[in-house]
Amino acid sequence: MTSSLGSTGSTCLTAGGAVRTAYPITGYALCNSIGMDVAEVRASLRAGKSGLGPSPIELPFETVVGAVRGPLPELPEALAPWTTRTTQIAQQLLEGKGQEIAAALDRLRGRWRPERIAVLLGTSTAGADVTEQAYRHFLHEGTLPADYDLFKQHTYGAVLHVVRALTGSEGPSWVVSTACTSSAKPLATAQRLIDADLIDAAVVGGIDTLCSMTLHGFKSLDALSAEPARPFSEDRRGLNIGEGGALLLVEREGEPIAMLEGVGESSDAYHIAAPHPEGLGAQLSMQRALDQAGCDVKSVSHVNAHGTGTRLNDVAEAAAIESLLGCEVPVVSTKSYTGHMLGAAGGTEAAFLVMAVSEGWIPGSLRADPVDEKIHIRVAQERIEGRFDHVLSNSFAFGGNNVSVLVGAPR
Amino acid sequence: MSRAVAVVGSGAFVPGYAGLAGWVAGVPSPDHEKAKAELVPTRQRRRASLLSKAFAEAFAETLETSTLEPSEVASVFGSALGEAATMISLLDQMWSETAMLSPMKFATSVHNAASGLISIATENRGFTTSLGADFDTPAMSLAEGLGLVLGENRPVIVCCGDEAPPAELVPEGKGWSLLTAAIALAPVDQAPAGSTLLSGLTILGGVGSANSENSERGASAGEIKPRDADSALGRNPNVGLLDLVTAIRDGAEGLVALDRGEGRGYTVRLETPRHG
Repeated sequence: MTSSLGSTGSTCLTAGGAVRTAYPITGYALCNSIGMDVAEVRASLRAGKSGLGPSPIELPFETVVGAVRGPLPELPEALAPWTTRTTQIAQQLLEGKGQEIAAALDRLRGRWRPERIAVLLGTSTAGADVTEQAYRHFLHEGTLPADYDLFKQHTYGAVLHVVRALTGSEGPSWVVSTACTSSAKPLATAQRLIDADLIDAAVVGGIDTLCSMTLHGFKSLDALSAEPARPFSEDRRGLNIGEGGALLLVEREGEPIAMLEGVGESSDAYHIAAPHPEGLGAQLSMQRALDQAGCDVKSVSHVNAHGTGTRLNDVAEAAAIESLLGCEVPVVSTKSYTGHMLGAAGGTEAAFLVMAVSEGWIPGSLRADPVDEKIHIRVAQERIEGRFDHVLSNSFAFGGNNVSVLVGAPR
Repeated sequence: MSRAVAVVGSGAFVPGYAGLAGWVAGVPSPDHEKAKAELVPTRQRRRASLLSKAFAEAFAETLETSTLEPSEVASVFGSALGEAATMISLLDQMWSETAMLSPMKFATSVHNAASGLISIATENRGFTTSLGADFDTPAMSLAEGLGLVLGENRPVIVCCGDEAPPAELVPEGKGWSLLTAAIALAPVDQAPAGSTLLSGLTILGGVGSANSENSERGASAGEIKPRDADSALGRNPNVGLLDLVTAIRDGAEGLVALDRGEGRGYTVRLETPRHG
C-alpha cells in the first residue's frame, strides 16, 4: 500500500442516525456516441453536441440511435476468443488512448491486493448482439456459426473475464442486470462490500450495445421516437436507444476526484413496465441516497435525470423531483446527447456527475423547449458553470427498479 | 466468527420434488413437475416465464421457513442466462412475417423479470437486484447477500436458478435442466438461537481472503460431498446453491463448494453453534 493517500472514506451520521461512509472515486472512463473517450465526451457535452443519428442496424421503422461511431480496438491475442462489441468497448474504456483512467488504475493496483479488487459491472444486453446474429445463422443454415461460443460471447462471464484480465482484478466479480438501472447498482454494491470489509476497491460501471431485439422491443412498447428525443418537452415522442460504456474506480482510500456519498435503491412494487404515476419509488430512491449521505435536500445542486423522453417517465420523475427537492434545482437529461444507453446509462450518468463536481459545470438539456406544462421542475437548457458540491443521478428500470446515486465534491 | 451470518430459511424448486423438503428427503412427487408460483397473482403468473415461476416457488418456500417480513426483506436473484429462452422466443417473433414483438413479453425478457414480479407480489418497495456470473452465480449472489447483511445489517433472501438453456445455443450434452434454490441470511444477532452459521466465502485470493480456506478445497478437510444429482441437474450453473441448502437441511458442517468444477472454486463454511 502507498503511504500518501489523498483521502479516506469519511463517515456521516444521517438524521435518522444511520451511518454510511463516502468513498473516493479516483478515476473514470467513458465511450459512447458523443465520444470515444472522456476528452471527446466532455467536449461534446460542453458544446451541446448530440451523438444521435441513423441506426447502423437495418430496421423496418424509423428511429435514431446513439451509436458508438469510432473504430474499436482489438483485444489482446490471449483474449481474442472473447471478442465482441461489448468486450471491445471494455478495452476502449480501459486502454483507449484518450482515456484518463490508466494512471488512476495503476495507483489502485499499487494500493490493493488483486484479490481485494472487485469487478462489478452492469449490462442489459451482454452479448445479445452476437447471439442475434448466431441465431439468425442457425435459422438459415441449421447450424450456429463455427466461431460462436455462448460462454465466451454472450454471457456475463465473458465481459467479466475480459475486464478482470485487463485490470488485474482477482476479487469477486459479477454483472448486475436490472435493465436500465444495471450500471448504477454496482456503485451501491461497491460501497456495501467496502463497508463490510469484503473488498478494498472496485472497478464499477457498465456496457450495453445496440441490438435489434432491444430496438424492436421498445418499438413494440410505443416508446421509441423517430426523431432525436426531447426529454421533458411538451413535444416529446419517446426515447432513442444508445450504446457505449462507463467505468469508475471506487476505493476505500485514494486521491478523490469526487466522493461516492450515497446510493439509494428502491422498488415501485407497482407494474413490471410502467413507472409509479406519482414517482413514489423514484422519491424513495432519491431520499435513501440523501439519507445515506446525511445530506439535506437543499444541498443538492443538480440532478441528472433518468429523463428518457417518454410521456409517462418524464412526468412521474418530474413529480418525484419536485416533491422531494422543489423546483429550483437544475435538472438535465443527458440522454438527449447519448440516447438511452439502457444497462450502461446509470454508470455513464454517474460519470457525468463526477465531471460536474470535479470541473464545476453541467451541460444543458437538449431540445426540451417548450417544457411540458405539467412539468414544474427547472430543466436547465444551457450549460451552467459553477460549484456543484452534491449532485444526484436517477436511473429507473423495468420491474419498478429504481436507483439514485449521490456524488459529492472531493473532501 | 465475526464475519459469520445466520441462515434463517431455505427453499428450492427441483422439478418432480415437493420443494427443498422433498428434494432433501429424496421423495419424488409427480404433482410438482411444474412450478405453481402461487406467490405471484394469477394475472402476472400467466405471463411469467418458467424461470420466474420457479424463482417464485423457491422464494415462497424460503419465506415460509423463515420469519422474515415479505414486504421488507431484501432480495438477490442470480441467474447465469436469465431469460435467454424468452429472448429466443422474441427473436422468432422479430423475424416472423409480422416482425412485431409482444410488448409484455419484451418487458419480461429482462434479467430482473423475477425480481420485479416478486417485489410487486410481495408489495416490497425495498432492495432487490438481479445478477449473473456464469458458473460463479451462486457464489457471487451470496457475496452480494453478504454485503447487505454485513454492510447494512439486514436480512436478505438470495435466490439462484436457471432454466434449461435454449437447445439451439449450446452444444449437445452441455445443456442442463431447470432448478432454483434460495437461502435466507440474517445478522447473527437478529437470528433465532442455534441457527446454522455461514462464513468464509472464499477462493484462494477471493472474497474474505484474509481467512482464505481454499487450500482445504478438494482435500479431506471437512468438504461436504454434494448429493448426487442427475447429470443435467448437476450441470446447472446454480447447483452449488442447491448443494448448500441441501447440506444445511441435512445439518451438515464443513466446507461446501459453490460450483461443481466449472467456476472459480468458491467455497463457504457451515457450522452450528454449540452454545446457544
